[in-house]
Amino acid sequence: MMRVDQQRTIRSGATVTIAGLAAVALSGCITSRVENSREGVTGIADGESVVIMARSYHLGNETEEKYISCVEDALARGSRGLRVIPHKQFVDSLFPWFEPRTAPAETKGLPKLMQRPGVAEKIADSGVRYIIWLDGDTDRVAGGGSLSCAAGPGGGGCFGFAWWQNDADYNAAVWDLKGLESAGNITADVSGTSFLPALVVPIPLIARARAAACKGLADQLRAFITDDSTA
Amino acid sequence: MAGPPTAWQIARENDVLTTDKPLRWYGAVLVFSALGGCAANVRMEPPTIPTPLIEKMPVAVGLRIPTEFQHYVHEESVLGREEWTIDLGSSNAALFTQLFGFMFEELEVLSPDDDASTFDIDALIEPSIDAFEFSVPKQSRTDAFAVWIRYRLKVYDRDGDIVANWPVSAYGKSQTTAMAGSDALRRAAVLAMRDAAAVIILKLDAETGISGMGDTVVPAIAPAPAGGEQTEVQTTALEGAKDDAG
Repeated sequence: MMRVDQQRTIRSGATVTIAGLAAVALSGCITSRVENSREGVTGIADGESVVIMARSYHLGNETEEKYISCVEDALARGSRGLRVIPHKQFVDSLFPWFEPRTAPAETKGLPKLMQRPGVAEKIADSGVRYIIWLDGDTDRVAGGGSLSCAAGPGGGGCFGFAWWQNDADYNAAVWDLKGLESAGNITADVSGTSFLPALVVPIPLIARARAAACKGLADQLRAFITDDSTA
Repeated sequence: MAGPPTAWQIARENDVLTTDKPLRWYGAVLVFSALGGCAANVRMEPPTIPTPLIEKMPVAVGLRIPTEFQHYVHEESVLGREEWTIDLGSSNAALFTQLFGFMFEELEVLSPDDDASTFDIDALIEPSIDAFEFSVPKQSRTDAFAVWIRYRLKVYDRDGDIVANWPVSAYGKSQTTAMAGSDALRRAAVLAMRDAAAVIILKLDAETGISGMGDTVVPAIAPAPAGGEQTEVQTTALEGAKDDAG
């Protein structure tokens, strides 16, 4: 019985490995650059948290809701994960001071904001030490090729080749609510080219630029905030 | 959790799929159906705004809800093909009732036929909708729905004289990626209403002087304990723009 279980485990492990290798081999091309510029000393204590916010769409920002959720999840994940307050909860608790129209655009507005009735107390209660403002988006910048598919009573298939390139450019500005100052900026520029060749069966080779930008930015943010230069 | 997309989905999402004869036939049927016109109906539920971090003004205010606020319907043909019907229902009435309940010590909600002079109030506010506009992703060439609402607030004093006639422009935007089109439009409308609420909280007193109409004079937005101007708030660049700019 034990041997059967072991064989099953080995077989399932091999399947996962092969699937993983196939996924790596079948992905598109990605080039990624993540940089940061530090303006102050950072660090985060137990009980302190961060909140991820999108820059206002009133200012033309189009950061996707999905991207914000992705960074929130990635920052909170793992043993070294940070405590992340959901942005909606934060914005609701401080209504109307962090609405798209009313949120401070620069750190110099923070001292005045914190002096408004109830604001400093709400922020202290939530334990938020850093506000991370995201802006940027993922755009299709190029593409080409052609793919035709046909289906009939006897079956179907596709033939052709297509490709497209997505650029994911995001910036994260980190505000320290303890010092009421900017702690720095992190940028993630990721370019991904995906391919879709088809000879009867299409084989997608997808470059997930936004997902790569999410992971790259979140990893860098975690290292930046915890001030861990080895991360 | 959704699995990886199929090759068909990927091809379709990336506009690289062309069709051969058998599919063309089905495609023609679909196109023919589409040319017959599409219609979308969106019905709004009353929105809920969070309790604002402000101090109430010691003013007894009457809120006269106009008839149109009980059943405001906006109909529009987008690009000459898609018919959109947006039924705001009583959402505006709910918004203003909730908002002014947060802003004033006393609030009386009046129906359109009520005689305001028979109520013991310091001021009467009469909101209305000047304009409602929206855009769909096809128009803006983005993946977002956007809604603009321009309200008008008329404020009357105890004697029934009009003291302010203030247009309030509000804007909300919601992406379609996480939700269906009608849900995204509904959310954009809710965000526009919430935007209007934020503007009214911040600027109502400066625009109308309503806090001075009660027995005790207290500013709408309590001033910061030290430094700064009383009614100016730290805002985004757009906040500085005129409200009635559209």
